[in-house]
Amino acid sequence: MLDKIASQRELLAEQSLAFIADCPVLYHCHHFNLFLDQTIDDALGGDAGNALRTAAAREAFGELLTRLSARADLTTPPERLELARALFAAAGHGKLDIAMERGGGGATGEHLHYGFTWLDKYGDAVRRRRPADAVAAGYAAAAAELALGLPPRSVAATESACVALRAPRCEFKLVPGQPPEAPRPHVGKAESLAAAGSGFAGLDEARVATIADGLRQVTAGVAGDARGLVQAFGVFVTLHAATYYNRISYEGLKHVEHQSQAGAAVMEALLRESGHVCVFNTFGGILLSPEWEGMVGTLEGGVAEVVVGCCAIARALGFGAWSVVRLEPGRELVLRAPCTYEGPYWRAREERSDRPRCYFFQGAALAIMQLAHRVPWKDRPGLTQEFYRKLFAAGVPWKVEETSCVAKGDAHCEVKVTPV
Amino acid sequence: MARIDVASTVADVPQLRGLFITAMPDCLLFGSWVREGETWHPEDVAAYFGDLIRANREGLKALGSWSALMQVTIESADVLIILRELEGDFVAGFVFSRETPLGMVRLHIKRMTDRLQAQLPAFQVQERPRAVRVLEFLQRYAPDPHASLLRVSLQTGVPLETLARPEALAAEQLAAVERSIADILGIDELHL
Repeated sequence: MLDKIASQRELLAEQSLAFIADCPVLYHCHHFNLFLDQTIDDALGGDAGNALRTAAAREAFGELLTRLSARADLTTPPERLELARALFAAAGHGKLDIAMERGGGGATGEHLHYGFTWLDKYGDAVRRRRPADAVAAGYAAAAAELALGLPPRSVAATESACVALRAPRCEFKLVPGQPPEAPRPHVGKAESLAAAGSGFAGLDEARVATIADGLRQVTAGVAGDARGLVQAFGVFVTLHAATYYNRISYEGLKHVEHQSQAGAAVMEALLRESGHVCVFNTFGGILLSPEWEGMVGTLEGGVAEVVVGCCAIARALGFGAWSVVRLEPGRELVLRAPCTYEGPYWRAREERSDRPRCYFFQGAALAIMQLAHRVPWKDRPGLTQEFYRKLFAAGVPWKVEETSCVAKGDAHCEVKVTPV
Repeated sequence: MARIDVASTVADVPQLRGLFITAMPDCLLFGSWVREGETWHPEDVAAYFGDLIRANREGLKALGSWSALMQVTIESADVLIILRELEGDFVAGFVFSRETPLGMVRLHIKRMTDRLQAQLPAFQVQERPRAVRVLEFLQRYAPDPHASLLRVSLQTGVPLETLARPEALAAEQLAAVERSIADILGIDELHL
């Protein structure tokens, strides 16, 4: 089954965007996943946030599973459920067993990425009050729809027990026969190409491209362990659906924008923070990893060295073909991409924006400047929660502006970071 | 910061590694002494010790066993901590080396408490606005403190500029902020 999935992986090389069966995918860590979900719940409230996240997962993974199943010619319910189970675990989301009949069913999860990592990261500090695994819930609903040939987006899923709430395992109820959610425009390779500008040869382009290619070979071999989790570079990693991230971010933000522009600015800051915490931890972890040392060499910690390395990592993870337009250590960083994984979604599903919309790209650029200037690389620091808190307790000494964005109709996306 | 002579209070106690005087109910550092070589941050320690005493009071009240001027003993791997309530709504946190005999600890604490009590002011400590205290509480315990004010603002709709001047929060805003903080920390309500 994993071979069937792997054979459907595609890369838009010039844009550094990845797809499975024409559905956009990328790698993201648990720091990002948890913080983004939390931001959606902060914006909408727990119940509405959970509903949006579940619906987005059902839509994004429903499309992915349906296309994969068709291309692999899987026609029976057991085959399709096996595909869903295998993809889920291989992508680092945990182990999910789905039992569904036409009248209804359920699912059981072990080591689900969201619940498990929430407990790992926050469990000692705070008590959670709501289940954490909307992605698994939506995924289980989508898999059940596909397996039984039910109308897409018509199975309701609720998580009735969750390890983040100290249950021994996660459990889901699946109820068919709901009014199907209206379909949304597909975002695939064609839509991404339509949104993207041309590639750009920035600082050390050849080096960036070479490292990115090497890292892609590393990530191509990454698969879930016996738990169905991917634990690497000091973080838990998932291969995830870009449509999930984009839909919850933009629909959550539009909801807040309708209420208050000031509130929207606050949410934008939190969306940037989700990118910041992700890049700081994941990119930092990769830069410190034995894999990096073996492939690229020991990191000396020079500003340009770190920034160029981060652009290569971004490309390998499927964030877009980030290039360094300008770098003045201590003063300015300008990054450009033909588009990020965020822009094509906006172009395909929303009106032309009056402002830039690549919030992950913005937060990531800020984090890259932190990594380049404030981490003592030669000391091989542990990128712990405590380190992160201490470093940013007084705020971030850089500010970011996205000066071009394909969501606005610009030819590419570009961010500029300068001192506060 | 110290408004009392803490150094002379601890002069003849070689097993003592630190002493922190917390002013309740705000959990603010009133005075401290830390043995050379220790890297503790007295403001942080004093605040957490104050929260601990407050929680202890609530717990004892729930048991119907509360009494003024009680004492808390904490035995960790490398330190022995005694939190002792003092008159005037102060709390003294004595941090001893772990191997110090308990009898010796009690003897030292009796002497130091007497010395401290003689120096502590008799004025009524003025309580700061509740909004200030609840936001400080959030900063101490939020899982991502650097993002906590943004989260409260997004949850409540209270602008960041208003949260920066919490003493000016209206009653309904404060109620919303408290609900938000309880949600972020995963607790039912704030006992402050």
